[in-house]
Amino acid sequence: MSPATDAAVAVDGLTKDYLLSVRGLRVRAVDGLSLVVQPGQVFGLLGPNGSGKSTTIKVVLGLAEPTLGSTSIFGVSSREARSRVDVGYLPENPNFHRFLSGRELVTFYARVCGVDRARLRDRVDEVIEWVGLKDAASRRLSTYSKGMLQRIGLAQAVVHDPRLLILDEPTAGVDPVGSAEIGELILRLKAQGKTIVLSSHLLAQVEGLCDRIAILNRGRLVLEGGVDELVTEKGRDALIVEGLDPSLAGDLRAWLIARGADLVAVEKPRTTLDRIFRDHVAPSVAPSAGDKEAR
Amino acid sequence: MSASVRFSPARIAVIAELTVLEAVRQRLFGALLVLAAGMIAGAQLLREFNFGSSELKFITDFGFGAVTLFGTILAVVTAAQLFFAEIENRTALTLLAKPVFRAEFVLGKFAGVAVVLALFVVVTTGALVTVLWMREGALMEVAPEAFERGRLVHYGSVVAFGALQWLKFAAIAALTLVVASFANTNLYSVVISFLIVLICHLQYLAQESWQKLGSGLARGAALLLASVFPNFQMFSVGDRIAAGQPIDPAVLGGSAAYGGLYLAVFLALAIHLFRRREI
Repeated sequence: MSPATDAAVAVDGLTKDYLLSVRGLRVRAVDGLSLVVQPGQVFGLLGPNGSGKSTTIKVVLGLAEPTLGSTSIFGVSSREARSRVDVGYLPENPNFHRFLSGRELVTFYARVCGVDRARLRDRVDEVIEWVGLKDAASRRLSTYSKGMLQRIGLAQAVVHDPRLLILDEPTAGVDPVGSAEIGELILRLKAQGKTIVLSSHLLAQVEGLCDRIAILNRGRLVLEGGVDELVTEKGRDALIVEGLDPSLAGDLRAWLIARGADLVAVEKPRTTLDRIFRDHVAPSVAPSAGDKEAR
Repeated sequence: MSASVRFSPARIAVIAELTVLEAVRQRLFGALLVLAAGMIAGAQLLREFNFGSSELKFITDFGFGAVTLFGTILAVVTAAQLFFAEIENRTALTLLAKPVFRAEFVLGKFAGVAVVLALFVVVTTGALVTVLWMREGALMEVAPEAFERGRLVHYGSVVAFGALQWLKFAAIAALTLVVASFANTNLYSVVISFLIVLICHLQYLAQESWQKLGSGLARGAALLLASVFPNFQMFSVGDRIAAGQPIDPAVLGGSAAYGGLYLAVFLALAIHLFRRREI
């Protein structure tokens, strides 16, 4: 089989136009995009607003028709309902049925996805515990914070144990603590071997989570590659030294030059504001017992 | 390869269940239900203003009017709201990203609305039957000579009226889904649906007049109206029942078949249009 038919997600020459007016004025949201996401990969879809990320996801999920080209999931055309059997989807700014409780929402999606009735209740409880919402499961969604809505959204996406998860801006509008919690949940899914397509503006988070990224701009693919391969400065190494007398930096440089290398900079390692904020506001999500069961 | 997915009545039932839950937790359904039941019960108090009609006829007329008016409002508003809210609030994105056929979504929404309408009809018709039964019982004690041949109200016909109205409301809900499946706003769905319901109630005029009109635009328009839109007067059997006559089973069967046919056509159209819609 070809790489595309083995792929978790294959996008082949996708072009998507939207009709703007009855006079036939169109806007091109995606322009000749081709991508392949392999099983087990965490694939980041990056780009500014209006770059075509969400449109691409909608076409992949069969929610919009391609103007040209095709998309498939695990070798099945996105036009077929069966392509979505093994997919969990968390939309951008999810707006769930707010008259339901968290447990009712997850139960609803579990039933829609055909989760076995005999283990429905246990499975729903497992994933709710897994996303850390056990105590809020009986509350109406209208009382949930943005971060809680994203987490219950993640619960409905994983409740039928899909092989592929498509997460569209899963941390949009969420504070750094909530964002880190969601990041940790995604890492756990990655550890379980799930294939994840992640669309996000938070580049630092994408860098920490993704194996491979594609950058879109104005509907076109402008860069694609492995994260390590793209962000590593080739031919350079960083040493983090403890207790070095600043006066010895000159000696160190001379030692390196004598061996054909150079000391380019001496600077203090920096943490991130994100980490400082999280350390002072709340600890990140602790590994839960549901982690193993949620697989 | 992924497992096959078949059209599933179970998924339709799950979506319908959610739709009923949403309707019940909305205040509109409860408010209309209480209002309609209250009006029917209140008909006893208004019988002073019956302009010479018999009390039982007045209560029956008033009750049928309340069921028809509030049922029509409920059918349009609930169908538009419960369907369009899924699009407007983007909850349909998550649902249709699951292995759910568009037809299952439309049928699930319709089935939910149909259950809500059935609840409405059962409660309001039940209230009407109760009020009529109690009032007739009281009158039988006061003026037994008028009831020598037993009770005057055909309660089976009152229940049949309720069942027929439910079918009409279901057809109105399906018609509203047709509009909502391509509309861009909830308000547009509601307004256009009410206009179509009005046309359907006046369709008999077009049916009667198109042959009498001369050639030209008016004749063509009347013919179009008479051909495309259903005649909702087919469901107007209340006058006969209020006059104390039983409903003819043949008329009942004919109206039910007529309503069922249009219901199926509207649902097929709604599914067809919604399949083409981008979410």
